[in-house]
Amino acid sequence: MSVTAIRMPKLGMTMEEGTIVEWRVAPGDRVEKGQLVLVIESEKNEAEIEATASGFLRHVYAAPGDVAPCGALLAALTEQPDEAFDAVALAAAEAPAARRPAAGDAVALAAAEAPAARRPAAAASAPAPVATSAPARGGERKAIAPAARALAKQLGLDAERVTGSGPGGRVTREDVEAFAAARERLVPVASGVALEVLREGQGAPLLLVPGFGTDVSSFAALTPRLVERFRVWALNPRGVGASDGPAADVPTLAADAAAVCAAAGGPVHVVGASLGAAAALELALARPELVRSLLLITPFVTATPRLLAAVTAWCRVAAEASPATLARVLAPLLFSDALLADEALRERTLRGLAAACARVPPATLERMAAGLAAWSGTRAKDLARIGAPTLVLAAGADLLTPDGEAVARAIPGARYTVVPGSGHALASDAPGVLGDATLAWLDRT
Amino acid sequence: MTRARTLTFGQAVNEAIRIAMETDPDVILLGEDVAGGGARTGEDVDEMGGVLGTTRGLVKAFPDRVLDTPISEMGLIGTAVGAAATGLRPIAELMFIDFLGTCLDPLLNQAAKLRYMFGGKARVPLTVRTVTGAGMQAAAQHSQSLYWITAGIPGLKTVIPATPHDAKGLLLAAIRDDDPVIFCEPKSLLFVPGEVPEGDYEVPIGKARLSREGTDVSLIGMGATVRMCEQAADQLAQEGVSAEVLDLRSLAPLDEEAILATLEKTGSVVVVDEATPRCGIASDVAALCVDRGFDFLNAPVRRVTAPHAPVPFSKTLEEAYMPSAAKIVAAVREVRG
Repeated sequence: MSVTAIRMPKLGMTMEEGTIVEWRVAPGDRVEKGQLVLVIESEKNEAEIEATASGFLRHVYAAPGDVAPCGALLAALTEQPDEAFDAVALAAAEAPAARRPAAGDAVALAAAEAPAARRPAAAASAPAPVATSAPARGGERKAIAPAARALAKQLGLDAERVTGSGPGGRVTREDVEAFAAARERLVPVASGVALEVLREGQGAPLLLVPGFGTDVSSFAALTPRLVERFRVWALNPRGVGASDGPAADVPTLAADAAAVCAAAGGPVHVVGASLGAAAALELALARPELVRSLLLITPFVTATPRLLAAVTAWCRVAAEASPATLARVLAPLLFSDALLADEALRERTLRGLAAACARVPPATLERMAAGLAAWSGTRAKDLARIGAPTLVLAAGADLLTPDGEAVARAIPGARYTVVPGSGHALASDAPGVLGDATLAWLDRT
Repeated sequence: MTRARTLTFGQAVNEAIRIAMETDPDVILLGEDVAGGGARTGEDVDEMGGVLGTTRGLVKAFPDRVLDTPISEMGLIGTAVGAAATGLRPIAELMFIDFLGTCLDPLLNQAAKLRYMFGGKARVPLTVRTVTGAGMQAAAQHSQSLYWITAGIPGLKTVIPATPHDAKGLLLAAIRDDDPVIFCEPKSLLFVPGEVPEGDYEVPIGKARLSREGTDVSLIGMGATVRMCEQAADQLAQEGVSAEVLDLRSLAPLDEEAILATLEKTGSVVVVDEATPRCGIASDVAALCVDRGFDFLNAPVRRVTAPHAPVPFSKTLEEAYMPSAAKIVAAVREVRG
């Protein structure tokens, strides 16, 4: 694909900006190289501007009357009328300064959408800027507090790798401390690759594999009950938290899980949620000797169009907005009406989800999404080969993985329990039921 | 000697002047209505003691050394600078710091420069007491916090106590200092009581006071904003945020080490100043934090100040204009996320 920008020209030594007078083409129009596309005014002269390439006009960034500095992006052409094109991303890449938000993400998005050109009226009444730091996510430059940078240097860590929990995703001193502590928890799983694995409790080994876009904190409600009776190994997949990146596909995640099982002295009780359940299935098929039992929470073997669309949206929002915004966008996809109706619970849950989202960088999401899509459908016929005792826990109001029962039916002897009314995020929606069912199941195996 | 009683800020100022005049015959007090009415000797005279009554009673104790002046700030401050340069130790009352413009030259070009220009052989042991700040509906010409002007002039010292205790001790130190000192009396504090030790003591100029210890964020205030910082710290404590409060006390010289020490401890600073933001103390402290404390910064430095605008007369607008505990708490929430 090829995008050509139409910019405000510099027509004389003293020209600094120009005013849009008139567009001669409209979005969607076919444009030939050399064709007159717009008229601008500068220093009391009007000038006709020609297209520098042929293509289709996809987006116009400056309206008649707008003033734009020389070089500013005014419009974009693509070679084909329907090729992938992201108007907001292009503008954002063009004008990094405009992406620094005044406050909050709504403003950041507004700034990204109205980058180089300014409306004269708006310029006259521009609100006084409230200085806040730039968001780390989606920006070229990550916000790292000086104290965090200094501590990372002292500890010999790369501060760029630390995910930030401060306002706008800023990396704080505490984040570096947490990252350093997490690096202490690394377990090598492959040549040059180590995963962050939280180990806690005493008893038979039990592995927790979190789902798409989140980390081990998604099991926070469950872990305290498990550690009373099991040695819990909770892993963060590649690219998540302090685990080495980049993120990998589902078979690789399963191979990593196998390495952790081996380190735990398997066979192991394996608990996976959603994409983590996919890894657990893959692990049970590839390395059955390491799996003592399987607990599949809201699993799938073939992704529904809605799941694929949700994952795509997840990646996009993560790249362009803050973790807090991402969590709020995900809420209706993940949680039940009952949870969403309880304001205090909802806000607390969203804060936890936002914190988890902050530990999964956009690049990791993209790779995980690709892995999910690639794995989808590849194991539908293999479930009959699974020999480990299996429980499928499904959510009654699951929008993303509604086929848990089919998964259970395909696995020989698998038990199936559904939690009525729960959304996809079972651990948030019904932590008590999940804990009871999990412990009852583990008692039986 | 060290027994403490409760006095208002204004009473503590009065006591400091009395002690200074008792212990040093060269100390004189001059200003508009500081004695009152021009009849300074009669026993039955109802003294005014300045427009806010701060110096009431002193003329009876020191009839020859408490002098009413004509209503001319240029005249009275010029006289005080000359008296200081020629052997006395005057305390001049500039009724409101808003009137600084009418008498800036003797301070800026004489008092501040003489020691320097005479190679250290001249001294100007002058104290200018002046009332500062808003919050009393005194309107745009009687409510300013212009101490940033004097703090920005080399050769002048500027102090602003936040408590009656420090008002007394800092004023005694200022009077006895051999250089000119601008002593600010925030008008919203003048009638606020607090514990004040009896007897003669000084609070050193150039030393900040840690009014509360904390670990999560440093609130740096001066004068009237120190109480706001303490109230904000109380609110933040309920949210589980441990705020440290530093009272600058001295604006020039500035206790840079104390500022950097609290920044190093908490990693986060909110500076709170009643004055307008441009070229001000809050900006100065913020610059110091970035300049010398960069690697300590765990969050952006935030200033909570008045806006760049005159002080409004309307009570509602004046409240909106001034810093407050609520604004400080909001700033802390913002930098901490």
